[in-house]
Amino acid sequence: MEKPLNNRAWFLVLPVLALVAFSAVLPLMTVVNYSVQDTFGNNQFFWAGLEWFQDTIHSDRVRAALGRQILFSAIILAIEIPLGIFVALNMPKKGAWASFCLVTMALPLLIPWNVVGTIWQVFGRVDIGLLGYTLTKLGIDYNYVNDALDAWITVVVMDVWHWTSLVALLCYAGLQSIPDAYYQAAKIDQASRWKVFRYIELPKMQGVLLIAVLLRFMDSFMIYTEPFVVTGGGPGNATTFLSIDLVKMAVGQFDLGPAAAFSLIYFLMILLISFVFYTVMTKEGETL
Amino acid sequence: MRKSVNLGFAILGIVWLGFAFWLTTLVPMRDDARDWFGSLNPGGWMAWTFPSALFFTIIAGLLILFTYLAIRFPETPRKGVLGITTTRGDRLFISLLGSAFICLIWLGAIGTPVWGGLACAIIYAAAVFRWV
Repeated sequence: MEKPLNNRAWFLVLPVLALVAFSAVLPLMTVVNYSVQDTFGNNQFFWAGLEWFQDTIHSDRVRAALGRQILFSAIILAIEIPLGIFVALNMPKKGAWASFCLVTMALPLLIPWNVVGTIWQVFGRVDIGLLGYTLTKLGIDYNYVNDALDAWITVVVMDVWHWTSLVALLCYAGLQSIPDAYYQAAKIDQASRWKVFRYIELPKMQGVLLIAVLLRFMDSFMIYTEPFVVTGGGPGNATTFLSIDLVKMAVGQFDLGPAAAFSLIYFLMILLISFVFYTVMTKEGETL
Repeated sequence: MRKSVNLGFAILGIVWLGFAFWLTTLVPMRDDARDWFGSLNPGGWMAWTFPSALFFTIIAGLLILFTYLAIRFPETPRKGVLGITTTRGDRLFISLLGSAFICLIWLGAIGTPVWGGLACAIIYAAAVFRWV
């Protein structure tokens, strides 16, 4: 039997196409145009070729920001993923207590980024902040405004506070989908707690964990608002991550050409990483 | 059905060629010669230049071509050396993304001009279409 072919439904995609064109494709094209030109304002542009790309590749400033960014994302993943799994494993499975935990866990996720930044900015202040004041009174020399390490710790802890619940909730959903029969079988075999985790819970959580890693990686790789509000990229350049550096270059210094080249390279990195993650995830789906 | 698809894409192809030709007419003159790197719309929106416009025109052309191929010659996805299932469109994406990185690496290691990088990218794309 021949399948009826009707591709007219594709026209329904047109509104989305128009929307994406105006919100993403045209701005991206403009960035490409800017990246090969130089401007001194007044909407006058002069051809610069690939000079800005070359500058960006050889720029110590961009490399340093990229290094900090990778370090930050690595720390975030190393803390949030195991912590999220640990929290999910210890959450009650059913009852009113479970609902209470779920709602409490979801709360940090509902807070807008800049509010989270403001909360931690005040929280860490030595003169009025609860955290900063207490630490100082305890005799610990803590000041995120002057000390690079303190600034890093603050930014990392803030991100962990904000986003670990996401990982925990995803893992919790994964754990809930495991039928009781698996645990009963493990009990009959006298499996230890570790073996139950290693051979039942972890494999069953694989799908959601991949999503969690992808989400957390992308989000931390593109982080802007929270560290910008708390430290402003300082002290010095200690917490200047890629997007903070990019905004400084584009908006602060109005170096449109270099900033455009920088953002295109940044975009290509994100595209590559997303593609790899997407491929791995769909491959997992195929084999399951 | 097949005829109308062919006709539709033929018209699209002609429009594409016309657009490319129209772009070349926009290139400004300087000292009695075409200034290929000059602004196509001085002081205008998006700051177009001929090379960047040509770049996007070629990408659009590739998308049109691959859409046509997908409709006219449907294919089954295959598994290549990377062990991932790919269609022609996936291979085009992998080629373009890889090419961007090859050109960037060329630019970083050797510098301008990047014709050599482009040549490497074309070889890479051919390899992707053959083996991935």
